Amino acid sequence: MADLEYLGLTRPQKALRRLAAFLTGLPGRLGRGLLGLLRALGRLARGAWHELRDLALTFMEGDWKTRTSFFIMGFGSIARGQVMRGLLFLLFQAVFLLYMLFFGGAYLAKWGTLGDVETTRQGRVTVYGDNSFLILLYGVLTLFFVLAFLYTWRVNVRQNRISQRLQQAGKPLKTAREDVAALADSQFHKTLLALPTLGIFLFTIVPIVFMVLVAFTNYDYNHQPPGKLFTWVGLSNFRTMLSAGSANYGSTFSQVLLWTLIWAFFATFLNYFLGMMVAIMINKKGIRLKKLWRTILVMTIAIPQFVSLLYVSKMFAADGLINSYLMKWGWISEALPFWTNPTWARVTIIVINIWIGIPYLMLIATGILMNIPADLYESARIDGANAVQMYGKITLPYMLFVTGPYLLTSFIGNINNFNVIFLLSGGGPMSMELGGNAGYTDLLITWLYKMTVNNTDYKMAAVIGIIVFVVTALINVVVYNMIPSVKHEEDFQ
Amino acid sequence: MAKRDAIPEVETYIDHQAGVIREVQPPAPRSKKAAERRANRAIYTALVIISVVWLAPFLFLVLQSFRSYLTEDGGMVSYLVPKAFSLDNYRFLFEDGRYLRWYTNTLTIALFVSVLQTGMVLSVSYVLSRMRFRGRRFIMNMILVLGMFPGFLTLIALYFLLKQFGLTQEGAIPGLILIYVASSGMGYYISKGFFDTIPKSLDESARIDGATRFYVFRRIIMPLSKPIVIYTILMGFMAPWGDYVFASYVAFGKSDSYNVAVGLYRWVNTLDFQGYFTRFCAGGVLVAIPITILFFLLQRYYVEGVTGGAVKG
Amino acid sequence: MASVTLEHVKKIYDNKVVAVQDFNLEIKDKEFVVFVGPSGCGKSTTLRMIAGLEDISEGILKIGDRVVNDVEPKDRDIAMVFQNYALYPHISVYENLAFSLRIRKIPQEEVHRRVVQAAHILGIEAYLDRKPRALSGGQRQRAAIGRAIVREPQVFLMDEPLSNLDAKLRNQMRAEIILLRRRLDTTFVYVTHDQTEAMTLGDRIVIMKDGFIQQVGSPQEVFEKPQNLFVAGFIGSPQMNVFDAELEEDAGEYTVVLPGFRLRLEGERAQLLRKRCIASQAVKLGVRPEHAQALFEARDNSLKGSIAVNEMMGSELHLHILREGEQNVILRVPTVDLSPAQRAILEAGQTIHFSFQSKVVQLFDPQTEQSLLF
Repeated sequence: MADLEYLGLTRPQKALRRLAAFLTGLPGRLGRGLLGLLRALGRLARGAWHELRDLALTFMEGDWKTRTSFFIMGFGSIARGQVMRGLLFLLFQAVFLLYMLFFGGAYLAKWGTLGDVETTRQGRVTVYGDNSFLILLYGVLTLFFVLAFLYTWRVNVRQNRISQRLQQAGKPLKTAREDVAALADSQFHKTLLALPTLGIFLFTIVPIVFMVLVAFTNYDYNHQPPGKLFTWVGLSNFRTMLSAGSANYGSTFSQVLLWTLIWAFFATFLNYFLGMMVAIMINKKGIRLKKLWRTILVMTIAIPQFVSLLYVSKMFAADGLINSYLMKWGWISEALPFWTNPTWARVTIIVINIWIGIPYLMLIATGILMNIPADLYESARIDGANAVQMYGKITLPYMLFVTGPYLLTSFIGNINNFNVIFLLSGGGPMSMELGGNAGYTDLLITWLYKMTVNNTDYKMAAVIGIIVFVVTALINVVVYNMIPSVKHEEDFQ
Repeated sequence: MAKRDAIPEVETYIDHQAGVIREVQPPAPRSKKAAERRANRAIYTALVIISVVWLAPFLFLVLQSFRSYLTEDGGMVSYLVPKAFSLDNYRFLFEDGRYLRWYTNTLTIALFVSVLQTGMVLSVSYVLSRMRFRGRRFIMNMILVLGMFPGFLTLIALYFLLKQFGLTQEGAIPGLILIYVASSGMGYYISKGFFDTIPKSLDESARIDGATRFYVFRRIIMPLSKPIVIYTILMGFMAPWGDYVFASYVAFGKSDSYNVAVGLYRWVNTLDFQGYFTRFCAGGVLVAIPITILFFLLQRYYVEGVTGGAVKG
Repeated sequence: MASVTLEHVKKIYDNKVVAVQDFNLEIKDKEFVVFVGPSGCGKSTTLRMIAGLEDISEGILKIGDRVVNDVEPKDRDIAMVFQNYALYPHISVYENLAFSLRIRKIPQEEVHRRVVQAAHILGIEAYLDRKPRALSGGQRQRAAIGRAIVREPQVFLMDEPLSNLDAKLRNQMRAEIILLRRRLDTTFVYVTHDQTEAMTLGDRIVIMKDGFIQQVGSPQEVFEKPQNLFVAGFIGSPQMNVFDAELEEDAGEYTVVLPGFRLRLEGERAQLLRKRCIASQAVKLGVRPEHAQALFEARDNSLKGSIAVNEMMGSELHLHILREGEQNVILRVPTVDLSPAQRAILEAGQTIHFSFQSKVVQLFDPQTEQSLLF
């Protein structure tokens, strides 16, 4: 049933009502969230219990083949005729044991301190001690290997249980040939995902876990392996980053974070509305040469940004073309401080980013505008709406509805928009008032880059990385549920 | 046609405050054509201005690339049109050797990445779009969460990881290819969105007809996905040309392993910048021309991918 | 050629939604069985379980004598026609038809022979070199059927094959499917939401709702002897009229009582009630629109109401009658014998009397909605 009373309200009344509903709903939502968390924990505990019970049952009900498999992986499979499977299990176990014995185990053992044997010089010879970096990195790898081993062991045990049951029921087991054939059919996902998963694991997951851990160490220019050791320091890096005081980064951090958000806001919404406007202009009935206009705009997408942005950055330099011509024409007497004054630099970046961003939005908006059913406009015209009203009541809501998720990803993308800042201003202008080598146009991401490359202050880079993650995740969680196209998927269909 | 009353229908609404029914005032009639023409003229003006602003930097770039560094000035000067038209900069690029090396490096990387990355992306998106298996949700959520970490966070870890295998400095080219390709499966969203639009009954019908999943993938889904395959290849090819961060860090001081972005960035920012500015312009033009041509040839697919991705989020 | 047997088949989705409940059915060799019901009733899910596209949660599925629960779709020797045809857009109609044969590595001459033969049966030889995009809806439908025919399967599965066609084409294709069936003479399982299709095509009809089978029977059976109120309402068009009435029992004699109308039940219906020892109770009384007669003059012991809408269908009139404060009743009145005076009475706004005979009424228990008769 429609809430007729609500529908009869005026706009401000409706807004007030919604706000009230939101506020009164808050405790309930929080409670539900908490309950959900508890329930998830309960599920986890139940799952663990279930697994343990299943393991025990498998052992107790298992025949000797199954029981032996608890210690020699793949034994059961080989004994039951699934030789290929069994050998693979066995091979994995052998590799794991060898790895732990001769390589991983040693690294994992030193994880607590990240190494304690200093590198020393005895006369002219350097005697290398522990390498904290490698201990941490290989420690992470080894940890994952252990987890993988546990999982494989579990699969091995489960396989035994299944095979045993099948045999008891008098059913045939899968042959090696069938197993291989399945990889192109029912198990095709394993085939296709094997490489991508390995890649993501080695080149994304391991490095990320490693860097997250670095945030809790004192790994920086004073503690560079192999010459020096570094070790765990707990939360002290986060304290340095977030608290005020001359030795800390607190004030710099808030500056950078604030600018990051302001930048992301303008870069997203300014481009969005201007791009939409340009798209509407080009697509208006009666405008000719549509293709030409579009092509001209799209040039900025086609040409690599390091060419276009570097060039434009030089155009705006103190001795660049813009200033030169303005002075030549006598409009100004000294160069405009495009890159040297903080406010000028920020505005310039936002404006140049419009130049970069409008073409994308123009393309996207064009696609969507063409999808708006023409009868909506026809019906509005018959109802007596003018162009502005049609834009406000049809085009804009439709666009916002369809592009809601895109706006979110684009906002997040702009928070991490390294190229534009780095190639245009390099984060500058710099200032004595900002710590950690940060400049006035530095985003968190460019600051992170400087921390890594220029300052070799890896621990702080890691801290910034974690903060970017938290900011991104927060925005995602809060905004995602407010996007209308997520809430009412079918409204505009 | 419905029969109409002789008296024209007047729209009305209820004025609650006054408690009466009022008529809607019809909009004043105006000369529609004249207004239309005025609007179009304004739009054309705006579009011309926009075109000038958008094209100007590229025009300037080309003009300055023709300024001789020998007879005129290789740095930034306060005028635009060179006094004498010269190909000195381009000659320098071909004779110096460094630039050609960077160019081949980048081209090699781009070719490898476009092929390998397409394989990765299409595999992941096909699986996530078409197959249902335990852990599918988990993988998608995992990729979502991993994507929230800034990309450069992993810079040093990756560097040292590659270093263990000798894939930095001299080995930077294969190292970079590995970095670009390894995690590319995470960018599955757009092509998965495309696969989702291919009716599932095609797969089902083929499976009843006796096709394996692999057969379906190769013979049905792939031929139907030409636009998205081309889009993925195009993206894979274009991205390496613009990467500075990973390329500079992995090549680390080894000029022979630079890509064009790193090389030209150094020309313009850290090297003798006054002399190298026009060479940078020429180098930029040489990079931009083939990529722009390629892009415009395949623009249709690019637009399809971008708009499809934006709408699906 | 094979039978299909479903024993206690159940489909439960991961989110605990039960789509199909305890489904028991034996489809005989060469039988044409139609699953019919409103959307979401589980008919398509059942068909897809037979095809092997959905896992069977519980129960046993046999094709012939073989249990096929764990058999891959391709090994079940079935062919399926999909609602949206599922023609492969990038290859010609010829290759579409040949697709399954090529996978099975059947020699080219045999492939050619079968494709041409199927195309001949369906009259699409002229379009074999076209891409599916260049075909009309009806031709696509034929191509989709052709793809199934070349397989020469044991069982033909069809999932709403006609619902994407317009009304006229649908009637035509329906007739063609009947002819095709006669020609192929194999087992058919056909899913539709359209009761007309079900009635005209099926040897037997399986009527489903909310995952449960409501009734299985020949078209005539389900039409004349609906086992419950749902089947009674679902089969037949326009829908059966349902009245709230009283059933009075007096010494083995049964009378249905409506305000102003008493109807003594005779013959088979009275016997059935007696056999079941039904006592006096409230009932739902069902009468099909074609079984109620419009009376052209006021008469005692009849029902009356005012005509709200009068729909002229050509050979007959559909009268929507509003009884005082009660539900709409629909009457079908043949127009052939109507005099001008009678027609005048049947105009909207007029009051009309109507009644019906005891041999056509259906009686249902108001609580269980099960038939008191069958």
